[in-house]
Amino acid sequence: CEKDLELTPEDDRDTSADVFNDPASYRAFIAKIYAGLSLSGQEGPAGNPDLEGLDEGFSNYMRLYWSMQELTTDEALIAWNDGTLRDLHYQNWTAGNEFIRTMYTRFLYQVALCNEFLRQTTPDLLDGRGVTGELRTQIENYRAEARFMRALTYWHTMDLYANPPFVTEEDPVGAFLPEQIQRADLFTYIESELLAIEDEIIGAKQNEYGRADQAAVWTLLTKLYLNAEVYTGSARYNDAITYAERTIGAGYSIAQVPYGNLFLADNDSNGSQQETIFAIPFDGLNTQSFGGMTFMVHAPVGGSMDPDFFGINGGWAGVRTTSTFVEQFEGEENSADGRANFYTDGQTKEIDDISDFTDGYAVIKYRNVDVDGNPGSDPGDHPDTDFPMFRLADVYLMYAEAVVRGGGGSLGTAVDYVNELRERAYGNTDGNITNSDLTLDFLLSERSRELHWECHRRTDLIRFGQFSDQGIWPFKGNVPQGATTEAFRDVMPIPATDIGVNTNLEQNPGY
Amino acid sequence: TVTGTITESASGLPIPGANVVVKGTTNGASTDFDGNYTLSEVATGDVLVFSYVGFEPQEINFSGQSTLSIALNEDAALLDEVVLIGYGSTTKQDATGAVQKVSSEEFNKGAIVSPDQLLAGKSAGVRITSSGGAPGEGSEIRIRGGSSLSANNSPLIVVDGIPLDQRGVQGVRNQLNSINPNEIEDFVILKDASATAIYGSRASNGVVLITTKKGKKGAPFKIEYGFQVSIDEAIDYVDVFTADEFRTLINENGADPSLLGNATTDWQDEIYRTAVGGIHNLTFSQGFENFSYRINYNNTNKQGILRKDLYRRNALNVNLNASLFDDHLKFALTTKGSFDDNFYADTGAIGNAIVFDPTQPIRQGGAFGGYFEFTQPNGNPEALSPRNPVALLEQNDEKARNKRNITNLNTEYRFHFLPELKFISNAGFDYSEIDGREFVEGRSATQQNGQFQKYYTGFNRNTNLDLILNYKNTIATANTEYDVTAGHSYQEFYVLSDLTETRNGMLETDPTTINRNSLESYFGRVSFDIADKYLLSASYRRDGSSRFKKENRWGNFPAASIGWKISNEEFLKDSNAVSNLKLRAGYGVTGNQEIGTNYGYLGIYSPGQSSASVQFGDTFQNTLRPEEFDENLKWEETTQYNVGLDIGFVNNAFNVTLDGYYRETEDLLARIPTAAGSNLSDLLTTNVGETLSRGVELGINTTVVSNDNFNWDLNANATLQEVEITKLNLSGDPDFFIPQGGIAGGVGNNIQLWRPGFDPTTFFVFRQVYDSEGNPIEGAYVDVNGDNQITEADRQAYKKATPDVYLGFTSNMSYKNFDFGFTLRGSLGNYVYNNVDSNTAFYEELLSPPGNFYKNGSKNLLESNFNDPQLFSDYYISRADFLKMDNMSIGYLFPMEEVQFRASFTATNVFTITKYDGLDPEISNGIDNNFYPRPRGFVLGLNFTY
Repeated sequence: CEKDLELTPEDDRDTSADVFNDPASYRAFIAKIYAGLSLSGQEGPAGNPDLEGLDEGFSNYMRLYWSMQELTTDEALIAWNDGTLRDLHYQNWTAGNEFIRTMYTRFLYQVALCNEFLRQTTPDLLDGRGVTGELRTQIENYRAEARFMRALTYWHTMDLYANPPFVTEEDPVGAFLPEQIQRADLFTYIESELLAIEDEIIGAKQNEYGRADQAAVWTLLTKLYLNAEVYTGSARYNDAITYAERTIGAGYSIAQVPYGNLFLADNDSNGSQQETIFAIPFDGLNTQSFGGMTFMVHAPVGGSMDPDFFGINGGWAGVRTTSTFVEQFEGEENSADGRANFYTDGQTKEIDDISDFTDGYAVIKYRNVDVDGNPGSDPGDHPDTDFPMFRLADVYLMYAEAVVRGGGGSLGTAVDYVNELRERAYGNTDGNITNSDLTLDFLLSERSRELHWECHRRTDLIRFGQFSDQGIWPFKGNVPQGATTEAFRDVMPIPATDIGVNTNLEQNPGY
Repeated sequence: TVTGTITESASGLPIPGANVVVKGTTNGASTDFDGNYTLSEVATGDVLVFSYVGFEPQEINFSGQSTLSIALNEDAALLDEVVLIGYGSTTKQDATGAVQKVSSEEFNKGAIVSPDQLLAGKSAGVRITSSGGAPGEGSEIRIRGGSSLSANNSPLIVVDGIPLDQRGVQGVRNQLNSINPNEIEDFVILKDASATAIYGSRASNGVVLITTKKGKKGAPFKIEYGFQVSIDEAIDYVDVFTADEFRTLINENGADPSLLGNATTDWQDEIYRTAVGGIHNLTFSQGFENFSYRINYNNTNKQGILRKDLYRRNALNVNLNASLFDDHLKFALTTKGSFDDNFYADTGAIGNAIVFDPTQPIRQGGAFGGYFEFTQPNGNPEALSPRNPVALLEQNDEKARNKRNITNLNTEYRFHFLPELKFISNAGFDYSEIDGREFVEGRSATQQNGQFQKYYTGFNRNTNLDLILNYKNTIATANTEYDVTAGHSYQEFYVLSDLTETRNGMLETDPTTINRNSLESYFGRVSFDIADKYLLSASYRRDGSSRFKKENRWGNFPAASIGWKISNEEFLKDSNAVSNLKLRAGYGVTGNQEIGTNYGYLGIYSPGQSSASVQFGDTFQNTLRPEEFDENLKWEETTQYNVGLDIGFVNNAFNVTLDGYYRETEDLLARIPTAAGSNLSDLLTTNVGETLSRGVELGINTTVVSNDNFNWDLNANATLQEVEITKLNLSGDPDFFIPQGGIAGGVGNNIQLWRPGFDPTTFFVFRQVYDSEGNPIEGAYVDVNGDNQITEADRQAYKKATPDVYLGFTSNMSYKNFDFGFTLRGSLGNYVYNNVDSNTAFYEELLSPPGNFYKNGSKNLLESNFNDPQLFSDYYISRADFLKMDNMSIGYLFPMEEVQFRASFTATNVFTITKYDGLDPEISNGIDNNFYPRPRGFVLGLNFTY
């Protein structure tokens, strides 16, 4: 009977030894790597999750990344009682915070997925399987994209946690303890990976929608260089300009549509896609999760807001903004700036009780309706709205900032870029600025106005030194009027769980 | 008048207090201190009955003698009782392990649907906690507390020779419901490793052997009919605000009264009902010289107190026994076939009935099938409001039929040329097929895309073949009996599941899932009984599991035990006071491989569903996910030591069994956080950590009175136990912990933890600060680390859900044709987290809901006065010691000629004494949240025997 103990799956699952007998497996596997950002598991919207340490909906990459980058800042706060969720806004998180932990495990899981793809598609293995011709070319493209996706996640990891564990395709899968890497070394690794694939990945605007191309690589390099001083202590603004220019020259344009259209259900086709460099697509029927865009559309709806206007069955009454963000706009909620899209009916500007949705203005940004107001393919829970992870407006503003910070380039061009964005926001030239207006303070505010709730704020505040020991907004430091916190909070703690498991890890200073 | 002396036949010593009675009358007498008696008014032709506890009664026809002296023989039945021990049997007096048999006379009374409930409170070291009050609900069965963390902690259950799948079968409330409680002859519980190790890899959490009733050799044809009718009702509801109190609360706190309704609805009263049930058993049995049979048909219908909840069973049990060639060849066929129908009510109604606004009506006409629901201005239901509990029940229909057959053919051949040698084969299967469907009306407020449909089907197939050789003989020169057993076993489990359900308004079918795993085993046991004084037993099992890779596949599980029958030594042999004394000691190693996953050592790729695909260009691409794995996965190993003492006093009228154990589990299979980046998930099932458990178990059986008219038996047991995690990760960091025990009230919230040095059900809380009047100060907690901030670093391990001590007490009395019995059960040192209070009793929740509605909640609000949720406060951890009367029963046997007729009346869940102020202190995981209340029941039973 002993051979009866050799059992392998008999349903639609397969072992790694057999799964690649089907050529379609490669495309399905690279799809999983992209799905790592938008979905939480193998069943939509929930079921068979990737991660189990936290509720599946909360464990979604985009939802957690948004929470890390926005809830910790003046742009957003949340009403809910979920675990230590509110500590993100209070800036009093500890190494035991489960959202910080799950973000970290989600990042390293994403890295592990990319590593596994690269391990399973080495030239030797492909030769062994007799893979040639068009399939071989496709797999080589996928490999470049897998390396881009890993670099993207390592950038997020470096930005948040500074010194994470480091694993590549050279490591096995098992119960081993990865080594820790220092932030500056990780910077070098990410840079080298991006430079290595710059010419291997499919050219700018040549790849399928939803997949990364050369412009995505350039944009990520721009972000890396713009923040290099934070990561390594040495500024790289000239390199930021070089790569911003490459992206800008690749044929994208600022969409001449109302600002709000960039965040609608049809934002992959309503014209706003012209400025999208790298999107995370969502779909009401085919790409369902309780994280990602489902969270970003539902959570900010509550109070007297009409769910129909958002193309959903009801709000989750969670996310609002602080008065500090409202005050970034001249004229505040009545600003002529079309990006100041606040919902104030029944809401107060100042916050008394964080758990009460009506305390604090609501922000109208992501919606599951098209330009004509028709709901997306699932008018209930899951939006069609895509998340613009990289868009040209961001690259324009990065270019302008690198210029102001002395990286070279042209101040005139920088001001033109800013004005192009402001003309779309105002609908005319009333909001235009001149060369002398283009200061660092202006740029930090302008980035908030243009890019709020797009996962940039925490990184921006840190680059401008305004996140922890400088900068005050309501409930920062867990006091209603706001207070500064200690500078070590610019870096998140390595989760206590992983310190407990992985003896190679040293906690970040201050925690 | 007759006089005489009653003596012990073995010793010739007089027996004081023995009885002599004229049969069929109340005329009787007792012996004095010297064993002498005098009985008057005796007539020729009368039958005199001489009896004494622990001795065989004797009947003498009175023929006018003036003196009549009698020597009584010791009744050995008690000690000679056969006890199963796994792939064989022994007698009670020769058992060397912690083994207990619970027979049908001792079972709990009542209209019991689930076999496990028969056993609750009957055995030391065995804790049975029903998961709720639904009919046929399953139980958490823990023998010696469970030794594992993530692997299964339930005992292995063997039914008439077939080990059941420890994971249960799909789609049913309780896999044991396929066994009709009426047909169970006895349970044998193997507690310590020396007894269980013969079951090797599945034995770490004890073994329960269930034997069903059989026809008896040479018994006359008998028809039995039993009928029970039961009524169940809720004992209590969660204490929430009434409609009037709720209006006052809203008005007094300045909330907007315009959102209130004008009705007065007690939602809990609306969802619960008085439930009725009926159980019929019809049994035919007969025994011939070489053949006997017993056939039972059972029909059970039992409503749940939650409306629409119903359990129904139609089952046929057949036992056939044949004996050929002068008992050289025996066949025993047992087959149990059942249709198990579960009508599931939507238990979501329980929580919604607590929080639904009592000022709103049940119905208002219009949308949602006429049920009242909270709506948005556009008429859609409010996204975050509670749902009408009555509508939840009425608009949902779910039923599932489980067709199951458990059959075992046991063949025993005693070799003609060597009658001491037996060959035994057990060939059995357990096949269970599920066909379930659920419909939710399209107009229900829970649906946005029309009617919801769900169809789930599949089967579980468990096949088993044991081949065993047994040799029993005596070495006369050494005065030694020995018993040698060797065998091979192969068992395979195959599970297939299909699911089709409505998603986004479309009916979608998932790919079929198939899971197969198998176990192959070799086992052996030798037992020696030297001079009827010294017992020695050793067993060995080698198990191979398909769940581990080749190099780790096989595990070895040895055990040994010794016994010393001290009472058979010369110095005690003649003692009347100490009639039995046996010292036992055992050691054994057992395993656990029940980790849920079948291919945990293999790298597996799982495809994704189309609803979880990604957009590439204009098409959607399905995904393929590599799963986490640990190729070095291996057996979890438990080593257990047991010392026991059996004492019988006064001719075994008073028996005490005392056992102490010490158990260590290593290479614990736990689902724990993996080092980030090292694997393909955040949690991984791997061998890590250790637990330690120990305990003392005391069992007392006593016959207080035994004579012709009056019998009184008492059975008491007490268990003292503790379990502790001693290691939890590779680094052995003592501060490392893993949060456990999810609670309601915010996602991702846990109230318990696993941490070295603590019980696995330990709570993890902030220490509440109270004002001088003893009221909790909201948000004020002890700043444990002194950093002037209250963060989760200030949470402390505090109390636990498992009891330190639990007790069982059973009394059975009979006087003439009356009988009366009751069972009490108690638990000490267990704590409960009141999640109903913590999640519903704060002003913010009641007064400022996120929408146009109000929510009701627990009236604990008026005590805590909390404004915001304080989910992690130890304020909600309550002592939950309890004493329960599980059942009380009275019966009368009507004396008739041809037919025997017995009527009984039983009350179940009679009372609970506890300080816990939630609904029920008995919650298996210690988190009280929307618990299906255990009802109080009244049962009328009628039994006819022809």
